[in-house]
Amino acid sequence: MIKLKAVTTAFLLSLLVTTAHAEGDAVRGEARFQECAACHRLDTGTNEVGPSLHGVFSRKAGELADFRYSPAMKRSRVTWSAETLEKYIADPQAFIPANRMPYAGMSNASDRADLIAYLQKATK
Amino acid sequence: MATKLAEVDVVIVGLGWTGGILAKEMTEAGLKVVALERGAMRTPENDYALPNIRDELRYVVRHDLMQNTARDTITVRNNPQQDSLPMRRLGSFLPGEVVGGSAVHWSGHTWRWTDMEFKVRSNYEERYGKKFIPEDMTIQDWGISYAELEPYYDKFERTAAVSGKAGNIAGTIREGGNPFEAPRERDYPLPPLTPILASEMFADAARNTGYHPFPRPSANASEAYTNPDGSKFGACQYCGYCQRFGCEANAKGSPHMTVIPIAMARPNFELRTNSWVTKVLKDSDGKRVTGVTYTNVLNGEEFEQPAAIVLLCAYAINNVHLLLLSGIGTPYDPVAQKGIIGKNYCYQTGASATLFFEGKYFNPFMNAGGSFATIDDFNTNWAFDRAPHEFVGGYNVSGGFNTPLPIGYRPVPSGTPQWGSEWKRATAKWYQTAMLINASGSVMANRYNCYDLDPTYRNAFGQPLMRMTFDYKANEHKMGTHAAQTINAIAKSMNPTKLNPASARTDPWTVVPYQSTHNTGGTIMGTNPRESAVNKFLQSWDCHNLFVVGANVFAHNSAYNPTGPVGALAYWTADAIKNRYLKNPGPLVSA
Repeated sequence: MIKLKAVTTAFLLSLLVTTAHAEGDAVRGEARFQECAACHRLDTGTNEVGPSLHGVFSRKAGELADFRYSPAMKRSRVTWSAETLEKYIADPQAFIPANRMPYAGMSNASDRADLIAYLQKATK
Repeated sequence: MATKLAEVDVVIVGLGWTGGILAKEMTEAGLKVVALERGAMRTPENDYALPNIRDELRYVVRHDLMQNTARDTITVRNNPQQDSLPMRRLGSFLPGEVVGGSAVHWSGHTWRWTDMEFKVRSNYEERYGKKFIPEDMTIQDWGISYAELEPYYDKFERTAAVSGKAGNIAGTIREGGNPFEAPRERDYPLPPLTPILASEMFADAARNTGYHPFPRPSANASEAYTNPDGSKFGACQYCGYCQRFGCEANAKGSPHMTVIPIAMARPNFELRTNSWVTKVLKDSDGKRVTGVTYTNVLNGEEFEQPAAIVLLCAYAINNVHLLLLSGIGTPYDPVAQKGIIGKNYCYQTGASATLFFEGKYFNPFMNAGGSFATIDDFNTNWAFDRAPHEFVGGYNVSGGFNTPLPIGYRPVPSGTPQWGSEWKRATAKWYQTAMLINASGSVMANRYNCYDLDPTYRNAFGQPLMRMTFDYKANEHKMGTHAAQTINAIAKSMNPTKLNPASARTDPWTVVPYQSTHNTGGTIMGTNPRESAVNKFLQSWDCHNLFVVGANVFAHNSAYNPTGPVGALAYWTADAIKNRYLKNPGPLVSA
C-alpha cells in the first residue's frame, strides 16, 4: 500500500511537471519567437537559414529532406517534443553538441515555456 | 552590337546598401526599376549559413565575396612623378562583388558624421585662420548640414539594426554614450552589444586617463529585432566571423536581408545579376543621360538599357571610374589643378598597439564586428586644440576585437622570430593573452591625391583601368604621431606584461596589407559645379537625371567608418528624387 502510494505520488508529480511545461503563455511566447524568426519560418517547406518549424512537434531531429542539417543533428536521434525542445532551446550546444544552429540559448525557463506554448499552436 | 532593351524609369548600377535602399524607395514610388549587379546572387540560407561560412581560406585569403581583379582592378602610384602599376591582388581595401555589395562583408560600424566634417574648411578657418590649412590641402565644405541629415541617419540606423548608446539626445548629454556626438532625436534602436574583456579593460583605462569611452555603435543586432520595414534580425551570437563574412545569424544589418528582398517582391522591380556596366550614355547635347550599356559577364552579350533616371550605386571607386569612362564632367588634373572628376580621393590612416597580459584570457575567437569601446576625445571633440599639434582632422581610439581570425590572427611580442619552433611556442603562449588598441584617423584631401584613367593598362572589357594616385602627407604623419602617443600612454597605464607599442606610419602607402575599405571622394558633393561633381542631393551638375551615390561624394575622409552617411545620403537622395525631382525634373540646385 505504501508502495502504491509512492507510485501514485510519482505519477502525480510527473503530471505536475508536465503541467508546468504546459503553463507557458503563447501570447508572450510569440514575442519570444522574435529571437527565432530571423532564421525560422512557420509555414510548410520554407527553409531559410534554419529549417521550417511547421509540424516540428511530430518530427525527428534532422528529418526534413530539403534542409542541410549538421551531422550532429542527424545523428542525435532526438524526437522533438515540448521536453526535448525545452532542453535544446535552453542550451543548444549542451543538448546536441556540434549542431550548427548559431544561437547561444534562452536562459530564462519561463521564457522557454512561453515560447514552446506558442510553438505548439503556431507550428500546427 | 548591343541589344537595345525597352526603356525603364530607373536603372540602378550596383546593388549594395545604396542601390538596395534606392531600389526599395524607387519601387515604393511606383517607378519601374531595373538593377544591374556585376556580382552573383547570394543568400543567407544558401551561402552564409553554417558550417560553410566559417571558411578563412575561402573568404579571407581567396576573397570570395570581393571584386575579381582578373577582370578589373586599379593601378596605383604614390605621386604623379611615379609610373603606375596594376594591383593584381586585393589587399589594402576589399570592394564587394555580390548582391549586397560590400555591405555583406562589412563589420557594421555605423557613425554619424557631423558638421565638423561637412563644414570642415569654414570651421578651421574660423578658429585657426586661413593659414592653418596647408596650401595643398584641398578640403572644402560639403554643402550639407548635420541637421538636414539627422532624420536620415535615424532611418538608416533603424533599417540596419544599429546597437549603441546615445551620448547626446536633443542636447542632453547621456552618461555612457559618446558625449561628443551631435545631438540626435532619439536613442539607437537597440541597446549596446555585450562588452568583451578587452573592451572593458580599455574603457576602464581610458576613463581613468580622463577620456570618455563608449560602446562603438554597430549594425550587429544586440537582440532579436524587426526593423520598421518588417525585416527580421536574429541576435548577434559573437561568432567571431564578421568582417569579410556574411552573417550566419542574420544579425548584421545588410541590404540583402532588408531592403533588397523588399524591392524584389515587387512586380515593378527587376534584378539582373552578372551584369557589368561599361558606360553611362549621354544624349546629343550632353545635358541628360539616356541609360547605360552593360555586358552579361557569363556569356559576353552586350545590352543597352535606356532609362529616364540613372543611379550610380556601385563601389565608390567604380562610380568615379564609370563617370571617367563615360566622359561625364571634366577629369581632374592634379598638376594644373583643373577639372573635377577624380578630385579629392581620400583614404584613412591609423596606428595600433598589441598588449600582452600574462594570466588573462581574452577569448579572441568570440566577439561581434563592433566589440569595441571607443574614445572620440581627439576626433569629434572640437575642444581638442589642434593648433599645438599642427594637424587638421582627428582620430578615434578603440580597444576590443573585430574578427581576429582563428588561423590568421597570431599575436606575438615584438622580437619573436617570424617562423620556426620559437614562433610556435610564442604563438601558443600569447594567443589568449593579447588585446589590441588601435586608432583610426582622418585623411584630408590633397591636390595630388586623385583618380584618373590609366594611360597603359586596360580591363577585360578593353577599357582603361582606374589609376589611383595616393600617399599620406605631413598632416597625416603628425596626426599619426599624436595618435601613437595617446595609444601608448593608455596602454602603459594598463601595465601589460609586454607591449608592442604603436608607432606613426611615415612610409609611403602601399596596396598591402589590408588597411581599410574606406575609399572616398572622386565625385565630390558641393555647393557649385566649379568645385564639385554633384550637388547636395548627389545629383550630377552636368546631367540632371544622373545621381551618383556613395562615399565617392565625400569631400574628404574622417576618422569614422563611412557607412552611416553613405546610408543616410541614400535615403536623403531617395527623398529628393521622390518629392522634388519627379515633380519637376531638372537641376534641384541652380548652378
